[in-house]
Parts: sequence; structure tokens; C-alpha cells
Amino acid sequence: MLTFVARRLLYLVPVLIAVSLLTFLIASLLPGDLAYTILGDQATPEKVAALRADMGLDQPIWVRYFGWLGNIMQGDFGRSFRTGQTVLQAVTERLPISLELMFLAQIAALAIGVPLAIICAARSGGPFDRFMTGTAFGMLSVPTFLSAILLIYLFAVELRWLPATGYVPFSEDPARNLRFMVLPALTLALAEWPGIMRVLRSDMIATLQEDYIALAKAKGLKASRILFVHALKPSSLTLVTITGINIGRLIGGAVIVETVFALPGIGRLLVGAITTRDLIILQGVVLLVGAGFVLLNFIVDMLYAMLDPRIRHGHA
Amino acid sequence: MIAAVRSSAVARIFLVAGFAISLSAIPASAQKKGGSVTMGLELDIPGFDPLQVGVYDTAALSASSALFDTLTYLDAGGKPQPKLALSWSASEDFKTWTFKLRPGVKFHDGTPFNAEAAKANFDRQKDPANKCRCAFYISNINNVQAPDELTLVYHLNDPSVNFPALVSSYANQNAAVHSPTAWKAKGDDYNRNPVGTGPFVLKSWTAGDRMVLERNPDYWDKDRIYLDRIVLKPLPDAQSRFASLQSGEADVIWDDEADADNIQKAQKDPKLTVHTYAGSGAAVYAFNTKVAPFDDVRVRQALVMALDRKKMSQALSNGLSRPASNPYGDGSWVKCKDDGALPEDAEKAKALIKEYGKPVEFKMLVTATPRGRAVGQVLQQFWKRVGANMEIEQVDQATIPPRAFMRQFQLTPWRIVDLADPDIQMYSNFRSGSPVALANYSNPELDQLLERARVTADQDKRNEDYCAISRLINKEAIWFWTFQNTYYAMSSAKVKGLPKMYSGVIDLSRVWLE
Repeated sequence: MLTFVARRLLYLVPVLIAVSLLTFLIASLLPGDLAYTILGDQATPEKVAALRADMGLDQPIWVRYFGWLGNIMQGDFGRSFRTGQTVLQAVTERLPISLELMFLAQIAALAIGVPLAIICAARSGGPFDRFMTGTAFGMLSVPTFLSAILLIYLFAVELRWLPATGYVPFSEDPARNLRFMVLPALTLALAEWPGIMRVLRSDMIATLQEDYIALAKAKGLKASRILFVHALKPSSLTLVTITGINIGRLIGGAVIVETVFALPGIGRLLVGAITTRDLIILQGVVLLVGAGFVLLNFIVDMLYAMLDPRIRHGHA
Repeated sequence: MIAAVRSSAVARIFLVAGFAISLSAIPASAQKKGGSVTMGLELDIPGFDPLQVGVYDTAALSASSALFDTLTYLDAGGKPQPKLALSWSASEDFKTWTFKLRPGVKFHDGTPFNAEAAKANFDRQKDPANKCRCAFYISNINNVQAPDELTLVYHLNDPSVNFPALVSSYANQNAAVHSPTAWKAKGDDYNRNPVGTGPFVLKSWTAGDRMVLERNPDYWDKDRIYLDRIVLKPLPDAQSRFASLQSGEADVIWDDEADADNIQKAQKDPKLTVHTYAGSGAAVYAFNTKVAPFDDVRVRQALVMALDRKKMSQALSNGLSRPASNPYGDGSWVKCKDDGALPEDAEKAKALIKEYGKPVEFKMLVTATPRGRAVGQVLQQFWKRVGANMEIEQVDQATIPPRAFMRQFQLTPWRIVDLADPDIQMYSNFRSGSPVALANYSNPELDQLLERARVTADQDKRNEDYCAISRLINKEAIWFWTFQNTYYAMSSAKVKGLPKMYSGVIDLSRVWLE
């Protein structure tokens, strides 16, 4: 197990370097010079040259990359030129909101996806199964920004049950916090449950063909016990994988959902950094999110290995 | 404004009795005290320290107009009225302006407001060591002196007839007066902990979320401040911003013409009010007259005549955009019987292009945004009809100013913003040799008119000069104008007393709830 963990950790190094390099290159190669952005309507050639020299933008790109990387090694991710806030400050302020959103969305997606998958698997090929498979396919094709606006119009503008936008910290008022979180989390969950349901359903259908299920049936065990204990447990390995992959999708979805619902999370920070060309925030946040995603997947791998001995012994 | 300045035809001195004139013209009995208003803005506010943020955007301006006071403010007629300054006077050459300040005013942190404090604000922005981007906008002010506690003297490099309206009337990065004690004590943290003398005090501010302002109990004009609280929230998505107004999460929201559908929806909704301000200035375009084909006046005139602004407005904003025929706009005090606008006449345009004889092909800079592209495509169609081929060159918004300054363009978009006086922008946009005289055009007659207009006190005469300038530019077609600046806000019908949105700023500090 230890060598397995060590090997996996070693793999992380090149991945993280690649993430940092790509982040930096994308931010640097974006059209529009940072000096132009900062100077705005006073970007005369002399001022641009002076500011570029001041910020080190006149140096070759690799010098700037290693300079940036060196600072990061010392814990300095840089500062926004607009707000003066450091990247780390901005991220620590906003991360809890995004994590809460993704956590709630994941719970909601599982709460919708898992029961439906079990019911469909139990009566696979039946009318309910066919209807749900179709619905799931349809829901997969609805973009988040559309479902977000539809939910707002239904629940906030027409029915007035829930607020359209806004946020209250959990520490300030948990009940109100959850009220603000319902629609954003639901929007994300609507895009996530079909994936969970479809994968778990096919996995369970396969599991239900296994000999030991036939044995369980022959022993006269109750159908519900077979489904929930004997079939769901081995199939739930798939859920771990899907959850890991979903995190990436959720981060992407959070960018849109946080903008529409005006939640002050990481996604909004990114969108703001893009629209205002705040490249230092942009590359810092993308790097941190990228690194976070890589680490989470590493943890999922570890979990998987713990749950399934075949993987850590390399037989899978 | 015309009447006001005319009434002092000889006078170089405008004395205004400050205490007598109230900040709003509505009788005091109509307003109810108390309540809270939540406003949805488009962007996160980056902060308020001019040294840090350089320039305030619309979102920051809405907050700063409640947090800070300025020396003057503009009344509904566009005329400067006393705020922190009680009266003002100019020297004969309009290069020295003296302001008498309001006594007994204190910043939110208790620091007294006086001439020294106002001067410290200016000096901090102007100090070359501070490298403030805000210094660009006060380059005409040479220095500021504080001869006594309540006298503030501005020494200008170039004359400015309308200085009190221009430089001190709205709470931008240069005119908002900050507490010197606060910025010294807080250092880097001052940016997010601003301290002014304004009617509202910053209570709390969560990054990317709510900024809560509470009524300043010691405000010098507290009888005319009605709300207890103002909450400012960034709501970046236009659809959900409008939904938040409909569902009551927001009482006021910022908006613009690009959101024409929702504006028109709100106009039909009795529970909502649409606030519009038809400002001065316009969306404008400059030809580089030093490069072919725009070195020929016939080509320039043809392209301007080929426009159909009404159709363009329909295509871009359901007809909300107001066509412009001069650089001043309906919001300006400059009113021209004849601004010399060329007729919109595609046939004449075709004839001019034919007369030119050579193929008309050129590139136009366009911002790489949905709006920029749409404008580019509409223009392309108009010009194609008359036999001119325009190629769209999409560039990042921030790339346009440097390209323009280096004259690396054939045709570029630009903007004349809403200001209380045309001088600053007209002079820099059209005086030969100015860095922003983008057309690369030089004409002694135009220069002479611009020089004279800026030092004439008589507003009728200035008006005549500016109309002559417009006629000359329109005839030579070195720049053209498409649409005037129009600013929008929408609110619940309960929100009353919103002042004119100069420069698009939504100033909630004196509104009340019905």
C-alpha cells in the first residue's frame, strides 16, 4: 500500500508542473497586454513601456514563469492589480462558499440519482426504466445557465418561495444560508444526477446477473435486501469514481451557477478576473483549483484502492 | 446652466449662498424617513483608494457617492451647487479657482474636514512617487494651496471656465474627499476601509458579496437623508439581476441598452420604474485621415452618409439607442440649430465613392465582445450597400487605446463620455497635435475655435463656437457619431427621489421609500 501511495504521489509532480505551465502560458498568451489593461485610456507608448519595465513584463516569458513559480514555492501567489488583495486571501475568503455549493449539489445529485438507478435496475427494460433513461438523457442536454434561469423564474419570480440571488454566510444564519443555496445546488444537481443514475443503473444491472445474486434469490432473501445490500454495495465503487470525475464538472458548473445566482465563490472570482483581465488573480486561482482537483482525484484513487484490494495489488 | 452663467455676463465671479439652496427641489413633507434599499450592480467593487484602483468604475461610483462628499454637485439643470464648498470664484484668466469651504464638517473617523485635508487628497494623487493612474485626470491642475482653514485655491495649467462643474462635482477617484488620517493609519487596508464625510458610513463589506452602508448620524445635511441603510450587491448576470428586482431581492438595479428586452418589459410593469438619463457625449468613431482611403474627404463623407442610425438602433437595442448627429448630445448644454450633420443618403454616398474612382477597402478595429461584433457587422452591411468593403479586425478592449495612440488603425471606435462641459474632451480630441486627436487632422480654423471656446465666459458665445466646431467636423467627416449616451437604472416603484444619473452613476444617498 505504501509503495502504491508513494508511486501515485510521484506521478503528481509532473502533473502539477504541467498545470502551472499551462496556466501561466494561457494567461500570458491571452490577447491584450496587461500593461494596456492597467493603463486603460492612458496607454501611451511611453507609459506602456515604463509600466512593462516596472512589472517585469519586458522580460522573456520563461524568466517570468520561473519567477512566478519561485514566488509560489515561497507561498506568494501574487496580488490583484485592481483590489490589492493577495490570491491566497481572495481564495480563502471564497473557497468555503464554493465547497458548500459543490457538497450540497453532490448530495442532491446522489439523492436523486441513486434511488432512481436502483428502481430502474430492478425493473430494467420496463416502462419506468425506459422513461427515466430518456429523461436522464434529456436532462444531460440542458445547459446549466438555462436551468438556472428557469428555476429562478419558477421558484423566485412566480412562486416567491426562494430568493433569486444572494448569499448569507452559514456562520451568520444557517437557515437563511440554506435557503439561498437551494436553487444553486439544485441547478448543479440537475446536471449531475443523470450521469450518476445511468452509470449506477448499468453497473447494477450487471451485478444483478452475478451468480451470488442468484444464490441470494435461491436462499429466498427479500428483493429489497438483495438490491440494497448485495447489489448496491459492490456497484457503489462506481459511485466513488463518478464522484471524483464530477468534482471537475462541478467546478466548471460553479463558474456559471455562482455568476447567475450571485454567490461570492471561486467561480465568480474567476469570471471577475477574466472580465477585468486581472491576470494575476486568474493564473493564481486556476493553478490552485487545478492543483486542488488533481489532489482530490489522488484522494479518490486512494479511496478506491482502499475499497477494492484488486487495484492496490495491480490486478485490475 | 446656460441661464445661470449668462446672468453673470461680465462676472468672473460666481458666488453662491450655500445654506439657502437645498440639495433637492422637492418639499420636505413628501419624504418619509427610514428603510433600507438594496441595489444590484454589475461588477464587484475593487476598492476606493485612488492609489490602488486608479479609476472608479460605475459600481464604485454608486458607492462612493454615498460614502464621500465632493466640493460641488450638479443639480438637475447640470449647474454646480455647493456641497463641501459653499462658494467659488475664478481669476480673470480662469486659471485660478478659489473655493470657500463649509465649516464644521467631520470625516466618519472624527477628523475635521478643512482646506488642508482637501489639499492632502490632491497632493497624494499628484505626487509622482505615488504613480497614481488617477493623476492623468488632474493633469490640468498644477497645484492646490490652502491659505487658511476654509479656503482652497486651485492653480490650473490651462484655463477652465466650468471648473466647479467638471472637476469637483461627482464622486470619482479624483473628486471624492478622503480622510487623510484614515489612509495614513490603514495603509494597504485603506482600499477596502474607505472613510469620507458622506451621508453614509461603511458598516461591513464581504468580498464579492454585500457592502452595507449605514446613515451617518452626524452628517451636515442629515435632514435631507432619508434611508437608514443602503446595501450594494454585485449581481453580474443580467437575467438574474432583473429577476432579483422582480422578486424583491433588489430594490434598484443598474442596467444598460444591451439589456433592451428587460428594460422594455419593466416599462410595462406598474410595480417597476425605469430611470433613464439621456446624457451628453456619444459612441464615436475616428478615421485616420493620414492613410488611404481616408485621406480623401469624399470617402469619409460617403461612409457617414451610408449610415442609417434608426435601423442600426433597431438591430442593436430594439430601437432604444438614440441617434447622434454631433459630439455633444441632448444631455449637454450645447444646443445647435445647425450642427452640420451630413444627410443619411445612400445614393449620395454611392455617387461619392464612384467619384473617388478607386476601390474603397479598409479595416476597422472592433472590440471582441458580442456588442462590438454586432456594431461592426451592421456597419459592414451599410457600407457594402454603397460599394465600400470593410474588414472587421477584432481586438481586445484594452488594445484599442494603445493602437489609437500609436495611430495603428484606419478606423477605430472611441467614446465621448458624459461630462458637465465639452471642453476637456473636445480640446483633446480635436486640437492638432493632441495625443487623442485620433484623426491626425489639422486645421487652424478648428484650433482657433477650440482655443476660444475654452476661455469664453459667455455661454451663448461658447455655444456658438461649439456648434461651429460641430459643423466643421461633420463637414470634414474626420469623426462620426452613432448613438448618444443613455444610462439606465430600474427600481421598484416605491423608490423615489433618484437624482439624474450623471455619467451613469446611481446615487442612492438622497432617495426615500414611499
